[in-house]
Amino acid sequence: MNVTGIIFANDGNVSALTEKRTMASLPFGGRYRQVDFALSNLTCAGIHRVGIVTRHSYQSLMNHIGSGEEWGLEMEEGGLEYLTPYSSSQVSDYRGKLESLSSAMSFLEYGPEDELVVMIDSAILSNLDLTRVLESHVASGKDITVVTKSGVCNGFRQLDLAVKLDKKGEIADMVVDYAAHADYEASMDIFVLNKKWLIQQVKEHIAHNKYHMDRDLVLGLWQQKAATVNVYRFEGIAMFNESVEEYFKNSLSLVDKNIRQELFGGCHPVYTKVRDRVPTYYGEDCRIENCSVADGCMLGGAVRNSVLFRQVTVYPGAKVENCVIMNDTVIGENCELRYVILDKDVYVRPGAKLMGTPTNPMIVKRGEVV
Amino acid sequence: MHFQKKRCIAMLLAGGQGSRLKVLTQNTAKPAVPFGGKYRIIDFPLSNCVNSGIDTVGILTQYQPLELNEYIGNGQPWGLNKSQSTAMVLPPYERHDKKSGWYKGTANAIYQNIAFIERYDPEYVVILSGDHIYKMDYADMVNYHERSGAACTIAVRDVPLEEASRFGILNTNPDGSIYEFEEKPKQPKSTNASMGIYVFNWKVLREFLIADEEDPQSANDFGKNIIPNLLAAGHKLMAYTFNGYWKDVGTIDSLWEANMELLGKEPEFDIRGDEKSRIYARNNALPSSYIDEGAVTVNCFIAEGSEVYGTVRHSIISTGCTVGEGALVEDSVVMPGCVIESGAIVGHAILGENSRICRGSVVGGAYGPKDKKKISVTAKDTVLEENTVLLPGEMK
Repeated sequence: MNVTGIIFANDGNVSALTEKRTMASLPFGGRYRQVDFALSNLTCAGIHRVGIVTRHSYQSLMNHIGSGEEWGLEMEEGGLEYLTPYSSSQVSDYRGKLESLSSAMSFLEYGPEDELVVMIDSAILSNLDLTRVLESHVASGKDITVVTKSGVCNGFRQLDLAVKLDKKGEIADMVVDYAAHADYEASMDIFVLNKKWLIQQVKEHIAHNKYHMDRDLVLGLWQQKAATVNVYRFEGIAMFNESVEEYFKNSLSLVDKNIRQELFGGCHPVYTKVRDRVPTYYGEDCRIENCSVADGCMLGGAVRNSVLFRQVTVYPGAKVENCVIMNDTVIGENCELRYVILDKDVYVRPGAKLMGTPTNPMIVKRGEVV
Repeated sequence: MHFQKKRCIAMLLAGGQGSRLKVLTQNTAKPAVPFGGKYRIIDFPLSNCVNSGIDTVGILTQYQPLELNEYIGNGQPWGLNKSQSTAMVLPPYERHDKKSGWYKGTANAIYQNIAFIERYDPEYVVILSGDHIYKMDYADMVNYHERSGAACTIAVRDVPLEEASRFGILNTNPDGSIYEFEEKPKQPKSTNASMGIYVFNWKVLREFLIADEEDPQSANDFGKNIIPNLLAAGHKLMAYTFNGYWKDVGTIDSLWEANMELLGKEPEFDIRGDEKSRIYARNNALPSSYIDEGAVTVNCFIAEGSEVYGTVRHSIISTGCTVGEGALVEDSVVMPGCVIESGAIVGHAILGENSRICRGSVVGGAYGPKDKKKISVTAKDTVLEENTVLLPGEMK
């Protein structure tokens, strides 16, 4: 079965952290960028033709993925394609996924018509066996398969798309951009569609000025009974990093062994760009407790319940608790940090005190000196 | 096929068994032995090549080549897989005229691969060995060689007089030219030890390799035959002094020491160093390491994918290891994929890849700073059953 993967790099934002980068290139879990999970899900399912739809600020994304060789995508046939906006297009930015698919039509139309297309977002992280989703899609004979997760909807959290299932597992109700009740399943923004059908739908929708994937294509067609929708319920861990609070909470949850094992040791490894850093050095005076630590760090102070990315330096006397510390940051002597997200290349001067709260962590932007 | 002419290429001798590393090289060639948490010994000369601008490297393998071949692969981790760069594994092969078969010696290994070298029509060939830990800019040595107009330049370092008889010793004139070479002399006349790093004018080396092959008495060895023959023929040989860190990790003790010398606030060998001397390695897709609430990690390197629940002091924990709750690892080198279960104690030891030290077992011992230390060693894939003891200096 030939399958094409499409990753959406820009959907969603987490305030200052995605000011100058795509959601896809947001660092996560010490060594990764969010897109690594989508790329690994696709390539580990044998999908080696992948398009990445980008809208803006994709410099860091291209720098990270390059030719895609870490994921085995540096090939002559298929491989990786960046689907960047045409500068001549009348709209300066895509309004929705259907519009971006419309301008990537030549990528979509390439190859035989009877292929499948997997569409996947960068904001929701999982280690998922896509081959089973594809099998479920084919077995169902339906037009669209949506991957969902239970336990995410709670009545006040707004979700892109949610469905309520009846006892037979058929969709009883579907909502878009709505704070669905806890008995709804949340869409993980992973869809499988038949290519020929998708191409036809994209053309028709764009001709009628409809561009919203969830609202116009999925909900719209389902309501009109013009499309059938299959639901694949994912049982594993799904991290919805759709706000700073969630990103922060999910990052810190990596100190939990079960979460770590499922996300990184699940059905396949998670691949990322190799950086060839030395192993982390734990100094004479360091006290590291309950932390996830990437390679290349030099640790001197006391760090608790935190996630340290690559090449972080913590000087002796510093106290770090419940923090997410990104690459190449330096935390000076006798600093005190609690509930802080330090973006890359931040320098925290000796003795500085930075405090956030669990629901509102303090963010220090990339390259700042505080 | 057309090959671009190269000014300089490197040939890396990686075929040695490394029998003095005992159980660690039972099923692994010495250059493939893990080092420093995430590297293998061969990463050092290979990365040095790349960092010195040498983009064509022939790697001569013979003993247990499987793991090494797999590790080198297409040379991608070192950037040696591009259109004008190569890392080519060169195992022994059979030829129509019987001048082939197993590599008889270091010189014979190069002789058998003359055709590989000729493709690049190089001015200079750098000969390296795959069993030393050091960072060196070979470009500087090649430039020195070119300026001096010598046929061969040998890298040397000053060693303590009492150790000199373990090395090939070069006796030099004040201008650095070599007038005498003695392989492992009983009474060394100088302390200029050869580091086994040579730069040759390819035309001269080619001629001497062919002559050496014709000599049935020859051991086909660079130190024993090629270098003395060059001197006897009146060629100019130069010594190039290198004073940086360099360690022959050919024995259990020296391998352990070299790992320990990475540690400390001001380590003897700063593996981190600057960008230009970065050491590259083939990386597995492993997540960050995890250090538990109750863990103690003092003066140690811990590589990615490891989980530490116990205590680690003055040690190297390599990629993908687990140190269980209440376990203690001290003064040890733990190679990739090892598991040290709860309550086990490991001191002054080298644990081979994927060793499992089960609950309550004890490996090795503790020493005072001036005691002669006996290193305990486990081979790759060893399982030390629950509550057993591996004595100091013992191997399994």
